[in-house]
Amino acid sequence: MSARHWRHLPTLGVAAVIVAGWVLLSWRYGAYVLPSPLAVARGFGDIVASGEIWRHTAASLGRILVGFGGAVVVALLAGLASFLWRTARGVIHDFLSVLNSTSVFVWIVISIIWFGLSNWAPIFTTFMITLPVVASNIVQGVEHVDRRLLEMGDVYRLSGRQKFTAIVVPSTLPYLVAGMKVGFGLALKVSVVAEIFGVTSGIGYVMNYSREILATQMVFVWALVMVLIMTATDTLLFDAVSRRLDRWR
Amino acid sequence: MAVTLEVTAVGKDFLIPVIDSVSFSVEAGEFVCLLGPNGCGKTTLLRIVGGLEPPTRGRVLLGGEPVSGSGRHTRKVGVVFQEDRLLPWMTLRENVELVCKPLGLAAAARRATADRYLRLAGLAGFEGYHPLRVSGGMRQRAAIARALAIEPDLLLMDEPFGALDAQNRRIMQAEVRRIWRETGRTILFVTHAIDEAVAIGTTLIMLTARPARIRELVRNDGRIERGKLTDDLNTMIMEEVERQQGVVGPL
Repeated sequence: MSARHWRHLPTLGVAAVIVAGWVLLSWRYGAYVLPSPLAVARGFGDIVASGEIWRHTAASLGRILVGFGGAVVVALLAGLASFLWRTARGVIHDFLSVLNSTSVFVWIVISIIWFGLSNWAPIFTTFMITLPVVASNIVQGVEHVDRRLLEMGDVYRLSGRQKFTAIVVPSTLPYLVAGMKVGFGLALKVSVVAEIFGVTSGIGYVMNYSREILATQMVFVWALVMVLIMTATDTLLFDAVSRRLDRWR
Repeated sequence: MAVTLEVTAVGKDFLIPVIDSVSFSVEAGEFVCLLGPNGCGKTTLLRIVGGLEPPTRGRVLLGGEPVSGSGRHTRKVGVVFQEDRLLPWMTLRENVELVCKPLGLAAAARRATADRYLRLAGLAGFEGYHPLRVSGGMRQRAAIARALAIEPDLLLMDEPFGALDAQNRRIMQAEVRRIWRETGRTILFVTHAIDEAVAIGTTLIMLTARPARIRELVRNDGRIERGKLTDDLNTMIMEEVERQQGVVGPL
């Protein structure tokens, strides 16, 4: 084992202590309040075997893909606008700070009023919450493009499009990836909350349903599924892309 | 093709007058060094000549055509800045190829041009390296290759060796001098190092302390012995530095 792997050894130690404490507390308070680790593991095995895990994960990810994907597209347009027009930059800034300070719950309530109990409620909520995060990252990236490089582009008479593709896009990409990484994590957390209302699939729905039928161990199982999704996308997608972008460093 | 440069009564005010009034003319193929104390407006003058900054007064003619302040002039001007200003995400070759795009060269011709000028700058074998993987001196040479690749009518260099150590500086001076002989470009070279100017320039222009005027214009054609020229210029620049500090007042 390499030193990199040994680094996680203390974490495993602490985790072992927590699991031991978890077992004790679950004996003391009962499976309804705190199911045992074994029950959670068995529950996880069940949803994998029945394929339920894929159905609800796919439903949640589908909504995230639309809501978060839409937010990324709009954020890219905002970044482009702030590159092209100085006035647009100020307007976008002001709107983003308003969106940033709006609570998740506001969007959940409004989306239920507007879209009723449908797929569009969690999609809209996800869109409105992730948009300011991704967009402010991109706009910040556009603002941080090195003016000296742009001046170099002017000296050599690069066209607006050449400057955009050769200078602006490469210097903004790291900001975009960072924004998408944070935004995706947020999208997963937020869409699950919005799924409590009005839809009949998805991780949020099935968690709330498990609570209602007193299957507390399944609440833990689905929480575990969320952690796995997040870890997988972070390491396999966003970190990999960041590394690839940084290969010239 | 190298062209003549005419600077007529050019002045620049920021909040205070930086350049009072400067006039000089440069023949095609000359190597002119602009000298002067730190902060006297050498870089500003170079930026005005390059069309990166509009003058407050006066005008600049390049090959008989006025240079505008927006960087949009019909003559080709190559600039080597104090920093290399290479795009770090592109290889040295891609950096040079990029500036050939507006010239309308085909991809194969761009690549050939890039490789030729990188070789001229002593970077053969490093074409595929990214800027952060080579030394500062090599980056600055790549920036020079880039400026030459557009075959500029006028090449502007703003203390391009400021960040280099003494040995690399000397090597680069010889390289630039050689490239100048081989390509015959008109060069305007800003420096505050007297020995550097005497070593490479054909015409030396000494500016006064801010607001800048021309204190002395010397032809470095061998009629004045180099040691004496260096001493004279050193005396002048000391006087100007003292004057500049006198204007600011004691600290």
